[in-house]
Amino acid sequence: MTFTRDFDETSRGMDELKIVLFVCNWGPHAALQTLQDQDRDIPHQVRMIRIPCTGRISKTLLFKAFERGADGVALIGCTPGTCRYGAGTYTAERNVEGARGILDLLGLGKDRLRLATFLPEEASPLLDFLNDFTDQVRGMGKSPVTPVPLKQPAHDGRRNTAEVLKAHDVYACQDCGKCSSACPMALSGRPYSPRAIANSIIAGSGNTPAVVNDVWSCLTCGICYDRCPSAVDFPAFIREMRCVQKASGKSGHEAHEGFFQSLMRAMTSPDLRTQHWKCLPEGIRTDQQSKTLFFGGCAPYFDEFFRRHLDVHTSDILADSLRLLNFFDVTPALLPGERCCGHDLLWSGDRENFLRLARLNVEAIEKMGIEEVVTACPECYRSFARDYPENGVPVNFRVTHIFDLAEKEIDKGAVGFEALDRSLTFQDPCRLSRMEGRADLPRKLIDRLRVKGFREMQDRGVSALCCGNCAWTGCDGYTKALQVKRLRQARATGSDLLVTACPKCQIHLRCAMEDPLLGKEIGMDLMDLTSVIARTIRWE
Amino acid sequence: MTTKHGNSVKAAVAVRKEIIITGFGGQGIVLAGQIVGKAAGLRDRKQSTLTQSYGPEARGGACSAQVIISDQAIHYPYVRKPDILICMSQGGFEKYGGLLGENSILIVDQDLVNPPEARCAAFFSIPATRLAEEMGRKMMANIVMLGFFTAVAGAISTEAARQTVTESVPKGTEELNLAAFNKGYDYGAAVLKGRQKKAEGKKGAL
Repeated sequence: MTFTRDFDETSRGMDELKIVLFVCNWGPHAALQTLQDQDRDIPHQVRMIRIPCTGRISKTLLFKAFERGADGVALIGCTPGTCRYGAGTYTAERNVEGARGILDLLGLGKDRLRLATFLPEEASPLLDFLNDFTDQVRGMGKSPVTPVPLKQPAHDGRRNTAEVLKAHDVYACQDCGKCSSACPMALSGRPYSPRAIANSIIAGSGNTPAVVNDVWSCLTCGICYDRCPSAVDFPAFIREMRCVQKASGKSGHEAHEGFFQSLMRAMTSPDLRTQHWKCLPEGIRTDQQSKTLFFGGCAPYFDEFFRRHLDVHTSDILADSLRLLNFFDVTPALLPGERCCGHDLLWSGDRENFLRLARLNVEAIEKMGIEEVVTACPECYRSFARDYPENGVPVNFRVTHIFDLAEKEIDKGAVGFEALDRSLTFQDPCRLSRMEGRADLPRKLIDRLRVKGFREMQDRGVSALCCGNCAWTGCDGYTKALQVKRLRQARATGSDLLVTACPKCQIHLRCAMEDPLLGKEIGMDLMDLTSVIARTIRWE
Repeated sequence: MTTKHGNSVKAAVAVRKEIIITGFGGQGIVLAGQIVGKAAGLRDRKQSTLTQSYGPEARGGACSAQVIISDQAIHYPYVRKPDILICMSQGGFEKYGGLLGENSILIVDQDLVNPPEARCAAFFSIPATRLAEEMGRKMMANIVMLGFFTAVAGAISTEAARQTVTESVPKGTEELNLAAFNKGYDYGAAVLKGRQKKAEGKKGAL
C-alpha cells in the first residue's frame, strides 16, 4: 500500500472527505507515479491503494470501503484491451456497475463510485479525473454511513460459554444422536454432529478449530431441535455461541466475502436514507397514512448483487405482495429508508449491530403510528415477531405474515383462482415451516390454487431439507451437495415448478442449478408462493 | 314536498322490507326469522313482525318465516311481495319463488337450491350449509345464512344482528354461533367487494 500524501488521521478533520483510490499496478500506477515525481498537486483527500488488477476488486471490496467510512471510491485500471491479465477491466466494469446499483439503493448515490482507465502516459488526464471526482464527492457531501466497530464487546450479560450453555440447558442433551441422524449437513456427507459439538463445548473444547468451524457450519435449520427428546434448542444455542465466538475474534466463513454482513452494518447508520422502494412498478397503491405497513426486506439488494450471476428477481415477491394486498383492499404504508431486519447479523454472531438495526426499525415504524406490520419474508417475520422482543427490543405492533393475511381473506369466500397449467412442489422455509410450526399454512394456500398437480417432496414440512445456507455463512461444497439433493427431490416429484416461500431459498437453489455438470439434471422453474397467488387470484 | 317555510325537503318515504326465509324444518328457519325481527325491533329501533308457517316443520317438511321490518307501524303482518327471499331448500324456492318481483333480492344456499332464471333485482348465493359443516356444526347453517343476509341485504344493522344472535342461541354456544355469523358476513362482504371490483373492470391482483 502506498500513500500519495501524508494521511495522518490526526491532521485531518473529522469532516474531511475520505476518497479511496484502488489503482491497478500497471498502466495507471505509472501515470500516478509521474504525478508524484512531478510533485503535482494531487487532492489531499485521496488515499491510494495499489492493487494487482482492477478485476481483483470485487463488489464486496468496493463496498467495504464505504462501510468503513469512505465518501468516494475510484477504481482506476488499464484502458480496455491493455489489461495484462486479459479480462480485468471488463470484470471491473461489471463489478463497479453492480456496486453502483447497491449504492443507489442504499441512498448513498451511485456517483460516489467511479471506474476510470488510463495509459501510463496519461498523467495529466488522471490528475484531471482526481480533481473532478474529488469535486463531485465534495458536492455530494460526507457519506451518511457511520463505521461501526467490527469487534464485539467482550461481555453484554450473556456473552460467555457457560452462561449460554446454562441458558439453553444444553446439559439436558442425552447424547441419543437423534439430532445428528436427522441433520442435513451430516447427511450431505460432512463429518458433522450437533451432539458432538454440544458435548465438546460442555467439555470445554469449544475453542478448538474443529468445533469453531462446526459452529459456523450449522445451517440453524432447526431439524435437530424438532427431533430432540430433551428439547435442546440447538439453533438458538449455535446463534449464541456465534456471538460468544465473534466477541473473541473468531468468525466463520462469510459467503460473498461478507458482502451482506457489510451491507447490514452500513445500514446501522442513523442518517442513511435508503432508496429501497424507488423501483416500485406502476399501479401499486400505497398510503403513508395507513396503520398497516408492508416491510419488504432485502430482495432489491439481492437482485442487484446477483443480477449478472444468477439473474434473480426476488423483488417480484415484494411487488406481488403489494399487489395482493391491494387486491384485498389493503393499501399499506411503506417505510421510507427501510433497512434490513438484521436477521443475518444476529444469526452470524453480530448481536450489537442487529440491535442497532432493530432499534432503528422499531423506532421508525412506531413513529409512523403503525399498528400492523405485514411481511412476505419468513426471516423478517421471525425477526420482528420473535427475535426483536427476545433481545430486548419490544414492538408495539402486530406482525403478520402475508400468508396468514391471504388465507384469512381468501377464506372469507367469493375469491377463486385462475387455472395454472403447472405441476407444483414446495420448498419449506425453515424459519416459517419448522421454527414457527406453520408448515400447514402455505399448504392450505396451495390447496386453494387450481393447478395441474401438487406433489410433496420426500422430505417436507417439519422434516423438510434446508435450502443449504443461512445468514450468508458457511457456503461450501457440502451445502452445495445438500442443495443438489434437494433439487433432485424436487425433480423426483415430476413437478415442473418449484414453489418457494423465502427469497434466499430461491437464490441458493438457483445457484446450485448453475452447476455446469448437473444443471440440466436439477434445473427447475422457481416461483415464490406469494407470486403464484397474486398472479392467479380472481374475484368470482 | 314543501314546508311552511317554503324549504323543499325530501318526501318521507317509509322504509319497509318484507322478508321470507324458507327451508326445511330443523334448519332453524324460524329462529333466523326471530333474530331478524328482534334485531330490527329491539336493537335498530324499528317496527317488526314475525309470522311463521304452520306445517309439519318438526318432521322435516317445508318451513317458512315471514318478517316485516318498517320504520312505521305495520298494520298487516303477512308478506305479499317479498323484498328479500332467503331459500335454504329447493322446495322453499318453488313455493315462494313466484312471489319475487323486479326489485326483490333472492338469496339461496348454493348447494341446496338451484333456481331457474328468477325475476329479481339481485341474486346472491352462499354455501351456508357447507361452511357450517366445515366449522363442525351443520346446524349453524341458519346463522351463517343470517350473517350473509346481514352483509348483502342491508335490512338490519350488523351490530344489532350480532347482539341478537348472542342473545338468541342456546347458552354456551354463543361464540360458535358468532363465528358462524361472522363467516357468513365476511363471505357476503367479500361477494359485494368482488362484484364492485368486477364492475370497475378489476378481476385479479395483476
